[in-house]
Amino acid sequence: MDALTLVQLLLNAAALGAAYALVALGFVLVINATGAVNFAHGDLVMSGGFLSVALAGALPVPGIVLLPLVAALMAILGLALSAAAYLPLRSRPPVAVFISTIAVGVMLQNSANAIFGAAPRGGPPLAGDGALSLGGLTLDRQSAAMIAAAVVLLAATQILLTHTQIGKRMRATAQDPEMARALGVRTGRMIALTFALAAALAGAAGLLLGNRYFVTPAEGGSLMLKAYIAVVIGGWGRIGGAVIGALLIALFESVVAAFLSQPIAEAVLYAVLLIVLFVRPGGILGEVEGRRA
Amino acid sequence: MSVTSAPSQPAFRAAHAPWIAGAALLALYAAFMGDLYGLRLLTQAGVYALLVIGYQFVFGHAGAFSLAQGAFFGLGAYVTGILGTKFGWGFLATFPLSVLLPAAFALLIAAPVLRLETHYFALATLGLAQVALIGAVNWESLTGGANGLVGVPRVTLFGARLVTGWPLLLFVWSLVAVGGLLAWRLTRGMKGLAYHTLRERPLAAASVGLDGGMLRATAFVLSAAYGGAAGALHATTLGVLSPEVFDFSIMVACLTMAVVGGRGRIAGAILGAVLLVHLPEWLRGLEQYYLIAYGAALLLVVILAPDGLAGIVDRFWRRGRGRSETLPFIPASTRGAHVGGAALHVENLAKSFGGVAALDGVNLRVAPGEIVGLIGPNGSGKSTLANLITGLYRPDRGRIRLDTTPIETLRPHEIARLGVRRTFQTAELIAGASLIDNIAVAYAATANPSLPHARSRALTVLAEAGLTSRAWEEAAAQPAGVRRLAEVARATVRGPRLLVLDEPSAGLTEDERTTLVRLLRNLASKGAAVLVIDHNVPFLSGLARRLVCLEAGRVIAEGTPGAVLADEAVRRAYLGTAEKKP
Repeated sequence: MDALTLVQLLLNAAALGAAYALVALGFVLVINATGAVNFAHGDLVMSGGFLSVALAGALPVPGIVLLPLVAALMAILGLALSAAAYLPLRSRPPVAVFISTIAVGVMLQNSANAIFGAAPRGGPPLAGDGALSLGGLTLDRQSAAMIAAAVVLLAATQILLTHTQIGKRMRATAQDPEMARALGVRTGRMIALTFALAAALAGAAGLLLGNRYFVTPAEGGSLMLKAYIAVVIGGWGRIGGAVIGALLIALFESVVAAFLSQPIAEAVLYAVLLIVLFVRPGGILGEVEGRRA
Repeated sequence: MSVTSAPSQPAFRAAHAPWIAGAALLALYAAFMGDLYGLRLLTQAGVYALLVIGYQFVFGHAGAFSLAQGAFFGLGAYVTGILGTKFGWGFLATFPLSVLLPAAFALLIAAPVLRLETHYFALATLGLAQVALIGAVNWESLTGGANGLVGVPRVTLFGARLVTGWPLLLFVWSLVAVGGLLAWRLTRGMKGLAYHTLRERPLAAASVGLDGGMLRATAFVLSAAYGGAAGALHATTLGVLSPEVFDFSIMVACLTMAVVGGRGRIAGAILGAVLLVHLPEWLRGLEQYYLIAYGAALLLVVILAPDGLAGIVDRFWRRGRGRSETLPFIPASTRGAHVGGAALHVENLAKSFGGVAALDGVNLRVAPGEIVGLIGPNGSGKSTLANLITGLYRPDRGRIRLDTTPIETLRPHEIARLGVRRTFQTAELIAGASLIDNIAVAYAATANPSLPHARSRALTVLAEAGLTSRAWEEAAAQPAGVRRLAEVARATVRGPRLLVLDEPSAGLTEDERTTLVRLLRNLASKGAAVLVIDHNVPFLSGLARRLVCLEAGRVIAEGTPGAVLADEAVRRAYLGTAEKKP
């Protein structure tokens, strides 16, 4: 493998990682807000993918134009998810939410299957096809646009969480719900908004992934698993850690898949995960102090 | 009630009546509705029933959210499939291996997997299932890859091949009956109560000597064995096998059946399996949308009926029937009682948390038959000392001996088995169980525990504590004082050799406090060593001959209550005068 191919490979890995990072970010935000795992998160990504397929069929515009629309519609789906599968179960142990989100995932997956069929569908390209030439290196437009869009969305989420009143309230709710409530924050509403934000990010990731990697109704499970693993790698509850974990997974997957094969890459990823969990039962970096799980 | 709430212990035979009626109905349904297709569906329901009965061990009883049950199912299916198609083994030869191999695999991974926290445990089991799926698809030479295996051998019994219809149905359902009966024997009475305690209050379980790790591992291995058996039946009833047996949808189906039927319930497992296998038929009008209805059913049951359909049936059946039970008369016996008292020796004990010394060289002795009161300001290390003595923490240095036995490296349940009992700052009572069962569980770690015997002993101590009338009431619904006395009753029912109480008088009424004093004096008079941590100094002074005062992790005074309370250092510790000790 020459240097040029290697750089190309790394760029592709970065594009994949950028999308995974959006998935993992939404996943960890919900973990922090609720203390429970959202098993439907991968199906939200899948839903965003099919939503962009459907919208692209109706509106012949580039994906980048559809992105805000997909994110907004997905945010509504996120609100519905929290209303159906989380808020009625707030006072129950986390396992109840594990099960309810599995149920929602089943519903989303089979809705997509009924509407679009089981065959893979291609999503719209973000900013047209073709390649950009930089020196001897050709970077295809889709990869570049994926990276750019993801960076913008990650930055926007960061600003939302740290520089706006509503983001600060969401973080306060995640950190200490009792205290937040005592300070007059409507925590139920903040949790619902967290679901909305997570779903919007997941939907955006679905659009980003849809063109290069196609969309299938059954893909949710493995996307959710990758987000889950990213959170284990990055440290349970650490937002920045989840993003880094997602990038590492994409890099690992791209490199191993290039040398061996996609299924082997996936199997090795899970095997590594299991070894990590056996050796470090608290995760690689440990949990955020005082986080309930 | 929460999802983790208990499968209630059937208190009387009549509780089984609706289930016997249900089984009869199912048999009638099979007899009269049974065209070939209908029989095939019921056979499939039997396969799932076995899978879910197994899942109830780990999910329902041990309370561990395992996502590996589908993988055990697939493993069992492939053991039978591969041995049958590649090596020509008959089903009766492959079946035991389909049960044993997943069980052995579960045993192998039980230790590392089961110590993980809920979210990591779910992930690890899901990861294992994914690895199995990828293996089945890609290891083509062994598994036939995505195409799977055809020609899986059918069951041959008395020279007859069971391919379809009644013979196959009866074969599968007899295995369900055997499996259900075995599961019932393994989880009824005291064993079920032990799992209930472990699930709801792991600390309380350890404090009565239950080895939680062992119980959880047993449940996990049993689940795997049942999953493997169901997988083998699945392969042989269909005659073909594909990697779909490892698909997450099987795990979801299993989980849905368990939750919809009723978590932890054998009847619930069967009910859930029969219902959900037939659901697609009943929802046939919905065509491909029926799986959406499947998800919706799961969601609705989780939200509206956390005890599942079995819970609804029970509640309906029991409405208007009192839960009183006449206990068999069991003559007073010392069965399961600890013998005599033991002396506690604490020497030079130290423990730090993140560099802050909670205890710093503590020496303490409690003689058999002696009641010692431990006082000290908040944060002085009293509860840390209790947790070290009972094994919840490991000391950084120093020794703890019970008579001559060093116990500082033992685990909580091992210490409990030596006859050490404790109560907690907030009473660790099991929700979803009666007061009497909260006390009866003290006998769960004895050899051959019997629930009637344990309950009859529990009733005796409840009477001593003046709580007879509340014996069958739900523990979680009791006022604070009653909960605390009940926890003390659990700690004393077997006549412990050493009893450690953490703030027993908090929240008690004057009457309850008098009762507590009487119970503890009575215990000490039988030889038990008693260490009481409390803030209420008048209460302690009346109870204990000797007080020990801790401050900042050190013993600052020791002696008769009068002497300790008059001690300058003690007054300074409590009243906070800034004078330096000379």
